[in-house]
Amino acid sequence: MIEAIDRGAGSNRSSGARSLIALRGVSRIHDGGAIAALRNVDLQIREGDCVAIVGASGSGKSSLVNILCGIDYPTSGHVIWQGRPIRKKKDWVWLRQLRIGIVFQEFNLIPTLTVLENVELALLGRGMSAKHRYIRAGMVLGRVGLDHRPHHLVSRLSGGERQRAAIARAIVSEPRLLLADEPTGNLDSASAEKIADLLFNLREMTGMTLILVTHDDTLAARCARRIRLRDGAVVEDTLRTLIGVPIEARAKT
Amino acid sequence: MNLVSLALRNLKRRPMRSFLSVLGVGLAVGSALALMTLSRGIQDSTRDSIGEIGGDLVVMPRGALDIFGGFIPEGTVKRIATIPGVVWVSGVLASFAPSGGAANVLTFGWPDASPLWKQVPLREGRVPDPGERHVAVLGDTAAASLGRKLNDTFDLFGETFRVVGVAGYASIVNRSLVLVPLADLQEASYRPRQVTIAHVRVENAGDGAELARIREEIGTSGNLVAATPNEVLDHDRNFAILEAVSLAVAILAVAMSALNVVTALVLATQERTREIGIFAAIGWSGGRIVKSIVIEGMLICAIGCGLGVLLSFFAASAFPRVPAIGNLISFKPSVGVIAPVIAAAFALCVLGALLPAWRAVRMLPAEALRRM
Repeated sequence: MIEAIDRGAGSNRSSGARSLIALRGVSRIHDGGAIAALRNVDLQIREGDCVAIVGASGSGKSSLVNILCGIDYPTSGHVIWQGRPIRKKKDWVWLRQLRIGIVFQEFNLIPTLTVLENVELALLGRGMSAKHRYIRAGMVLGRVGLDHRPHHLVSRLSGGERQRAAIARAIVSEPRLLLADEPTGNLDSASAEKIADLLFNLREMTGMTLILVTHDDTLAARCARRIRLRDGAVVEDTLRTLIGVPIEARAKT
Repeated sequence: MNLVSLALRNLKRRPMRSFLSVLGVGLAVGSALALMTLSRGIQDSTRDSIGEIGGDLVVMPRGALDIFGGFIPEGTVKRIATIPGVVWVSGVLASFAPSGGAANVLTFGWPDASPLWKQVPLREGRVPDPGERHVAVLGDTAAASLGRKLNDTFDLFGETFRVVGVAGYASIVNRSLVLVPLADLQEASYRPRQVTIAHVRVENAGDGAELARIREEIGTSGNLVAATPNEVLDHDRNFAILEAVSLAVAILAVAMSALNVVTALVLATQERTREIGIFAAIGWSGGRIVKSIVIEGMLICAIGCGLGVLLSFFAASAFPRVPAIGNLISFKPSVGVIAPVIAAAFALCVLGALLPAWRAVRMLPAEALRRM
């Protein structure tokens, strides 16, 4: 049974895990006020959370993810990382380099580079030797099941393989937070399932926080928490156990 | 992989874009080098020719436009010869003389007793005997272009001259020379008892102080200026004008080329806006992104400059084969010409890459990622 809890339940629930990232009164307005992608969103994501963000097209899911990883800035409100507001561009650069990995629906790989080079890109400028980068990127490719094609140009890979490469790039820095924006949106159902399995397995193994934007209810059901957006506002924040019994509901009984 | 190898991979895997960008830079650099080398070649050829004729100093009237336009009375030449330390002086009347149907030929008139005659590198024949009239020594190129050989006659200022010798000078200008007795040229060109320049040999040319003293004394012996062969063109107004025109043309060529270079790099960078968004999304700082784009611009520039230099050397080997060019000037690209052109090209490439890169990194990564 899946039961919705009140909006904000996720941020108010009692838990031992500490807050990883939070939004406080975040709004994102485009075109001088004509379009409100997000409206006064309050949200808290804890360390180790597995969160699905769902909603119809245009509901603000991608805007929310963009703001959570700092590739877009809120018009008002704050993003808070481990209790500290993130205001400077260089702080976001640092977070994306070391703490936040992003997986996009369109993969966003560099087509002129090989799989291994795309993964290595995320390690450049980290003070690692070329050999160390090479070894680490190769190891991560092994974890995503792409160790047999490290030197292939990404433009010659299938959609599923590209998304694996993108996941490898996102996790090569061992981030605390992995944001996946419709990671299966461009894939056939078989590939989509494998990619979903890969993401959840990686989360299991590393304990990192996973925020997944998806249209797919089945995929969303695999997450312990579901946040639903409508017209840029959070209208539902559901927490459930793996057996489908809502924690909050269970706590109330 | 580092930023340089990343840029190299990018260039290698986008061959058409890379080729066009490199070609744009190469043509720009090559044409700028060709024009500037041409300008420099004219000056070098003339300097070489003056040095080859002989003497340590060349005397010209102060303010003379060039070696053809001055007026020095023969009496003044004799006065210079009396200056202590001067070994000999030879007046020279320089003129472009009409010769039959051919274009004007560069003609020098030398006095019968001039020591310059002794320094003519004769290939065949002889120099005029003292008092011999209407005879000439032709440079080998002049002989070929006039179609004359030893003992043939040819027309100069409407008078007939006989070829008594053919000289084998090394410099391109001197190879096109016609040498005649001074008296003949003065008479034919209506410039009696005057010369346009004088060559001076001094006793101790290596002594800077001595040379300076002699130059000063020559300067006070009339309204004259004495210069070393290397400095002669500094006093030549025509060359100053030529140099200014060459420079203006070269600047125009460089400006057009610069526009090409900047356009190529701006387009190449704008095309990569989405890529820049990806770099930002995976945690690259703005500085690192700009650095990677500038490095790629520099690589395009380096390869383009190499191509440009090759093109200029190709032009250097091809132009001398064109008689209208090769008979008059030498065309040798030198470090002195190549270095500033390449420095300018690099500065422009950095600018051309920096501006769009700076604009792109100021853009929000999310916005850059939306670009196709």
